[in-house]
Amino acid sequence: MESLESRRIAAPLAHRVGKDANAAQIADAIVATWQEIEAALTPIIGQRAVVALYRRSLHLTGSIHPWMAGTHEGVQTDMDLAALKSVFRQQSSANAAGGGSALFQTFYELLASLIGPSLTERLLRSVWATSSSGPSAQDNTT
Amino acid sequence: MTTKVTINRLATGVPGLDEVLGGGLPEFSFNLIAGPPGCGKTTLAHQMMFALATPERPALYFTVLGEPPLKMLRYQQQFDFFDSESINRSIRFINLSDDTLAGDLDQVLGRIVANVEEHSPALVFVDSFRSVMLASSSEGNPSYNLQQFVQQLGMLMTSWQATTFLIGEYFTETDANPVFTVADGLIWLRQSVQRNSMVRKMEIMKMRGQPTLPGLHTFRISTAGIEVFAPARVAVAAPAEAMTGALDSRLLMGLPLLDEMLGGGLPRGYSVLVAGPSGSGKSILAAAFLAEGARCGETGVVAVFEQHPNRSRNRAIADLIGSGRVGLVDTRAPDLSIDEIVLLLMNEIRRLNASRVVIDSLSGFELALAPTFREDFRESLLRLVTALAGAGVTVLMTSELEDRYTDLRFSPYGTAFLTDAIIVQRYIEVDSRLLRVMAVVKVRASAHSDELRLFSIDGDGIHIGAMLPDQEGLLGGRPTRKSASDLRSSAIGADDG
Repeated sequence: MESLESRRIAAPLAHRVGKDANAAQIADAIVATWQEIEAALTPIIGQRAVVALYRRSLHLTGSIHPWMAGTHEGVQTDMDLAALKSVFRQQSSANAAGGGSALFQTFYELLASLIGPSLTERLLRSVWATSSSGPSAQDNTT
Repeated sequence: MTTKVTINRLATGVPGLDEVLGGGLPEFSFNLIAGPPGCGKTTLAHQMMFALATPERPALYFTVLGEPPLKMLRYQQQFDFFDSESINRSIRFINLSDDTLAGDLDQVLGRIVANVEEHSPALVFVDSFRSVMLASSSEGNPSYNLQQFVQQLGMLMTSWQATTFLIGEYFTETDANPVFTVADGLIWLRQSVQRNSMVRKMEIMKMRGQPTLPGLHTFRISTAGIEVFAPARVAVAAPAEAMTGALDSRLLMGLPLLDEMLGGGLPRGYSVLVAGPSGSGKSILAAAFLAEGARCGETGVVAVFEQHPNRSRNRAIADLIGSGRVGLVDTRAPDLSIDEIVLLLMNEIRRLNASRVVIDSLSGFELALAPTFREDFRESLLRLVTALAGAGVTVLMTSELEDRYTDLRFSPYGTAFLTDAIIVQRYIEVDSRLLRVMAVVKVRASAHSDELRLFSIDGDGIHIGAMLPDQEGLLGGRPTRKSASDLRSSAIGADDG
């Protein structure tokens, strides 16, 4: 159930949680999606690389969504998704949805800049492509 | 008899590698790919993996501590063989750096075994191995630990019916490394640097049960991946057969008088060296040779090693190339090896089913070779001639020869003995004019003319003319009239040795 929801929520986030979702629901969905991303990538590129990419994504997204700025500092040896969740829970649902989407997109684009869009799509297919709500926003904007 | 095990040999998908390996890679073998950084180990492993892995026979690629997987994936995907769609389907990358960092080889082995049991791969790669050794050396008793690790890994992988590769950095080959004993196969990659040139070389130092080709084999890495230049296989029976058949069947050179001088044309399958000073007309003779072939319905191949092919190329040859009756081998690649050139030539010969080959010129050929091969130029040339003879083609090679009027030479390399026939061209001075003479010096196992004949070159090509019976000392460059016999003593080098 959770997994299904987290997949639906993948991207664009707002589209998937529904307009009436509150920040807590959105935060849960975001964290679940990140867990899937971590599970898909860690065996291949290693935990350190996933954490480093995640940290960098947080850092980049923080410049657009100032409420996220500084979150990356807490990310050291693991992703610390609990911290992410608490930050998102404190936001309005619109902020959380927008910020969550932006974070996924930044991460996706960062990975694609390193290993190319087609391999990125292949590695994250299990996370992203199962969404039946049309092509993901990431693909359209890259 | 029939109960003996049959060892399947896998086609590696790397051009030339199966030949060097002696017929492919033995299934379930445990192999090391070793060499210094940057020599192409990971590329070789990936190329084989993408060629061999299928959803039914999947591959596991364990990345240990070496290159970060992100970097590896970033760079390996540049190669044509890299197929993103295979990943997570027939190819699975598994990162073990965290386990390796802990320094516990048993744990690393445990992870490998767990993954192998889960996925039942037909192919297993562990990249890279030195990292494992370094990690283990912090454990006090490194070599014991390492040997145990490798031995267990080898045993486990074989019993799981997985063909396994350990990719290793920096082994010194003289080391009596226990890993070498355990491995069934040992593929060594090198980069040989001399002056400004770099040549990649591969050696199969060991491959159990396989008649590998010994020695260093050059290879090149392009966007298509690795291509190994295996030495051309020499058909042992061919030369003897060619010899007997050759004298019966001769081919024409495109110059009737020259054919006469050769004793009725050049025996088929022979190699002929055309030696002469710059501008004497060697390339034009070569063009006539190819044009005559085309006229007789034969195809040819010309290999040019000149700095400015467009400027120097003869129009007749250009037309033949344009019409597809002559293939062109004109590689601009730096640091060529003899095997690469032979391979390029052979591919063209096979493509066109060519019977005539021109190499213009040996001097340019020598310069095109990487410096590391120049010391062995005679040997290289011998291999080239042998390979071409094995292919049954008739070869014309030109050789730039400084005019030396004090001695009679045919090639600057002492390579004249390699060829079956020799035609020499020279300048002479008569009546304040620079004239050209040509002679057939040698045609193996055949009678030939001993005439020194004048020849001239115009827009239509070479015209062979008369002898100069009233002159002597032609080879000295400054012939004298016979009637003036009292001047004879002033002739320089009249009798060449």
